[in-house]
This record gives sequence, structure tokens and C-alpha cells, in this order.
Amino acid sequence: MSEPSAFKIGRILLLFGRLILGGIFIFAAYSKLWPLTAVKVNLAFFAMQVDSYQLLPPWGVMFVAHMLPWLELALGVFLLIGWLLRLVSTVTSLLLLGFFTVILRSYSAGLEINCGCFGPNEKLDITTIVRDGSMLALSLAVMVGAFLTRRPAVESAPTAVAAPEPQETE
Amino acid sequence: MKRPFCKASRLLIGLAAAALLLGAGRAAIAQVKSAEAPPNKAVGSKSAPIMLVVFSDFECPACRALYEQTLRPLLDDYVAVGKVYLVHRDFPLQVHKYSHDAARYANAAAHFGKYERVSGILYDNQESWAADGNVGKFVSQVLTPVEMKRVQAMVDSCREGSVAAKPASLRASPQSGPGCQLDKAIDEDVAAGQRIQVSQTPTLLIIHNGRTDKIAGVVSYQILKAYLDQLLAH
Repeated sequence: MSEPSAFKIGRILLLFGRLILGGIFIFAAYSKLWPLTAVKVNLAFFAMQVDSYQLLPPWGVMFVAHMLPWLELALGVFLLIGWLLRLVSTVTSLLLLGFFTVILRSYSAGLEINCGCFGPNEKLDITTIVRDGSMLALSLAVMVGAFLTRRPAVESAPTAVAAPEPQETE
Repeated sequence: MKRPFCKASRLLIGLAAAALLLGAGRAAIAQVKSAEAPPNKAVGSKSAPIMLVVFSDFECPACRALYEQTLRPLLDDYVAVGKVYLVHRDFPLQVHKYSHDAARYANAAAHFGKYERVSGILYDNQESWAADGNVGKFVSQVLTPVEMKRVQAMVDSCREGSVAAKPASLRASPQSGPGCQLDKAIDEDVAAGQRIQVSQTPTLLIIHNGRTDKIAGVVSYQILKAYLDQLLAH
């Protein structure tokens, strides 16, 4: 396979990966924030779901519950449009790694709670772990893809951005 | 590059459909009939703006934590002042040996308006009676001798012919005595829980102004308070 076609396939896979991941993150944010007319109530409800993990003090629960849905929304939008993909995919991977660790810990501890990942009625069980693990793998793949894919600006840098010749002044 | 975008649009349509389904799921929970609430197992004013339904198992440690750390202060701050109507629903789990028996005692005490007091004493002494099954020993501490005698008679009538201390809903053919209203009440609670997909204890159902939210597990009082305040302000 020639390098240009391998490069093209890589870019298409990266596009699919970030579109899927971006869609998932936007849906996760939607499930926590919608309807926007009751967003304060929705976030207070999400705080109860975060609290049920029994990991954080009340101030920590409130901070995470009020910040996380907006962060998910921002990451989802950035992934969809492909802006700052290296940075965004790294943050997404770190976030998913955190989710995966917390879910794994709660499941191992035998906590019978709702996941709170995509809405209110979702029991935390082995399928949650498999799903979050798959999302983490996808996110890592997008991150690796983003770092392996060369930026167009870098490719054309030697010709497009030519450094001016230093001129001697007497 | 046309095909990937075509597939991407399908993906977005799929996500939109999933979002609609999520909304429909919430609406289904909202249809839970609040009128079904058993009044002798409820505390507070029926006209309170918020109804809080708790599905719990007397032998479950998380239920004890919820009762002692969250529901007790809630009774003083929200139920006593008419902001919350608290409804208890029994959801004894098969894994707990004596939880159904404990639920029978509590339901019998409900006939004397003492469900709440019996709940308190059972949760406070959970480790003791869960070890030897002597539930009556603690129930008798909050009932008068006459009440206790009648409660014991009701529980004993249910025990006659019953297969161990398991919920009737979990037995192949219910064997409770014909006059066992206690098991009937417990089974009705379990059925009500199953209708809204309760599968773990404790599970809270919070109903306010057409909105219904369900949360499983222990919730600290401070976080529940923040949520209730938001509901009341909305």
C-alpha cells in the first residue's frame, strides 16, 4: 500500500473515531443537562449520582457535578469539529481513564448504584465497565492518531514559512 | 470523502434518536402513581410539594446508612415543616435472611401508626437482629405491651405455613396464611418497585410537580438538601 493511501485511511479512521467519541460526549452532557429550563435541578440531581459513589466530600461532589457536564459538552464539540485535537483527545483520554478507574473501584467494592453516565436509570454493572473500557480504548486510539497525523502546516513549513535571511547591517 | 460524511450523519441521527428515547424513559418514570402510596407507612403532609418514596430493605447496611445519616435529619428539616411527604416502601432482598421478617414487624406496627419508630429501632440495631433473627426483641422496645402482643400475633399468623422468611413474591407458590395482610402489603411494595425497575436498595424516588427522579444508593444529607432546595425553588 502506498504511503498516501495509508495516510488517507488513517485520517478517515481518525475522523470516524473523533466523530463517534464527540457524539458520545455530547449525548452524555445532554443527558445530564436537558431540559435546560431546569438545568439547576438537573445538576443538583446529578450531584446525588456523583455522591452515591462515596468518593468525594460534599464540596467536591458539588464541584464535579456542576463542572463535568459542561466539560463533556465542550470536549464533544471540540472532537466533532476537530479543533486542538491533540490536546482535546489527551484530556478526553485522561477523563475516561478517571471514569474507568472510579467505575472499576465502585464495582469491585460492591456498590449497588446507578452509573450516572448517560442519564438517571442506568445500573452500574459489568456492561458499564466493558462500555467504558471500549470508550477509553477508542479515545486512546484517537489520541495516538492525532499525534501520528502530521499537521498540514508542518508539512509545508519549509516552503510556506521561510525564515528571512539575516541581513548584515553596517 | 462522501461516504464517511454520510455515515457520520447516520451516527448523528442515531444519537438524536437515543436522546429522544432517554426523554421517553424519563416520562415513563414520571407516570408512577403517587396515589398508590400506603398512608400508614408515610410521614408528613400529603399536600407537601415533594413526595419522597424510599424502597429499602431493613437488613441492608446501605439502607441503614441512608436512614440514619440522611432520612433522620430530613424528617426534622423537611417532613415536619410540610415540604416533603416521606413514603416508605419495603423491598426485602432474597440475599438477606431476616429482612422479610423485619418488614412484617414494621408493617404490623404500621397498623398502630408506628412504622417509622420501628424502622428506626430496626436500623439502629441491625447488626444484632441480623445475626440471630430476633427481630421482636427490638420491636418490643418501641411498642406498648398490648401493641406488641397484637403485632406478634399478626407476624405469627403469617409465619404459619410460610416457607422460611422469604418474600411471597420470590416463592414459587405463596404459602402464607390466608389472613396474612402483612405479606400482601410487602408484595405490593415489591411489585410497585418492580414496575419502575427498582433492582437495588436503597432506591429513592423523588416526585415534584410532574417531575420524577430515581436515585439508587446512599446519598448524603447535604447533597439531598441541595437538590430538594432546587426543586422547591424551581
